[in-house]
Amino acid sequence: MRITGLFGVSAQFRGRVEAQREPLYRLAYSWCHDAGLADDLVQETLLRALDRAGQLNDPQRLKGWLCAILANCLKDHFRRARPLEPLDEEMPAQGETPEGASASNQVAARVRAEVERLPLGQRQAVTLVDLEGFSYAEVAEILEVPVGTVMSRLCRAREALRARLIDFAAGENNKVRSIR
Amino acid sequence: MSQEREVSQEMQNAFVDGQLDAADWTALVERMGRDEALRRSVCELRTLKDMTRSAYADVHSGRAASAPDRARWARVAAVALAFAATGWLAHDALAPGRVLTELRGVAADRILVHIASSRGEVVDPALQEVEDYLHDARAAGRPVKVEIVANSTGMDILRADTSAYAARLERLRAAYPNLTYIACNQTADRLREKGATVTLLPGVQVAPTALDEIVKRMQEGWVYIRA
Repeated sequence: MRITGLFGVSAQFRGRVEAQREPLYRLAYSWCHDAGLADDLVQETLLRALDRAGQLNDPQRLKGWLCAILANCLKDHFRRARPLEPLDEEMPAQGETPEGASASNQVAARVRAEVERLPLGQRQAVTLVDLEGFSYAEVAEILEVPVGTVMSRLCRAREALRARLIDFAAGENNKVRSIR
Repeated sequence: MSQEREVSQEMQNAFVDGQLDAADWTALVERMGRDEALRRSVCELRTLKDMTRSAYADVHSGRAASAPDRARWARVAAVALAFAATGWLAHDALAPGRVLTELRGVAADRILVHIASSRGEVVDPALQEVEDYLHDARAAGRPVKVEIVANSTGMDILRADTSAYAARLERLRAAYPNLTYIACNQTADRLREKGATVTLLPGVQVAPTALDEIVKRMQEGWVYIRA
């Protein structure tokens, strides 16, 4: 048991952490596809970040640092949920199924459903790169794996998505909105 | 005429993700100019990247970036000042077993214990320390308050159908009216969404989220302890 450091951090730091809440939620959701769990994970991530503010040596790396905490929160969640199962990249998401996807945007729903079918390690790699724009080296640091592993996971993820989505994309591509 | 080596998928992905150095990037662009299959493959990867990014563009947290959230963080700032003024900054990482001694040392009388796991190695010492603390305070005639806030899998200890600690918690609550149990409604909602029936133990109160309760109590001057 220990007292956490929710105090003693600067207002500037808190503001910067708060500003990452939305991207963290989006990332958490893309990993678990469960709105409630994503909220829990972000909440826990913010608490841990405030608790460990002193561990962030380079303020420029705040976002990656927070994502690494988020990844560890998810790991901890799976450990608690399945103490006897190995935490490997073959673990699928537990949320909605492709058939059960119900987002208002049918394209988004279909893509999310296919991302959800990916093994966790691949899902994390592809969303960290595509949603948050991290470099391969940054993803490797966040997930604590070699860069080569990031590249292979990304390749497998994109090949799986290509096999399942590219024909669908051919008909729907004009409707896809870029957020850039 | 020699056949060119196939461009690997890793290389194609690195191109789409902007991870190639200038020389490799130029070489791949030149190659795409004369290799239709490569060009089509890279275009597909680019399309998939755009689709993935767009698919999550409208995902938002229900509570994120709202005015209450900003107010919450402002409260945390205010609490930080309050703790600083009372010397708590020196106690940001207490070792196991020293917590109660340290708490007595600063005359803490309102303590929130946050339990986010149902594992015995987390819950058992937490409950034992709470019980010891309440016992010592009563013996010393000190009017203290303790609140146990549970979320995530820690919620299991407060649920009638899952708790391995029901009898112990009930005994503690009966012995110490100044001990309160708080369940996280966000966790409860998530459990219900998955089809679980969430029935809490008698006397357990509910907060919107564990974080809300923690910040509210810290604003009021309570000491926060993570089990």
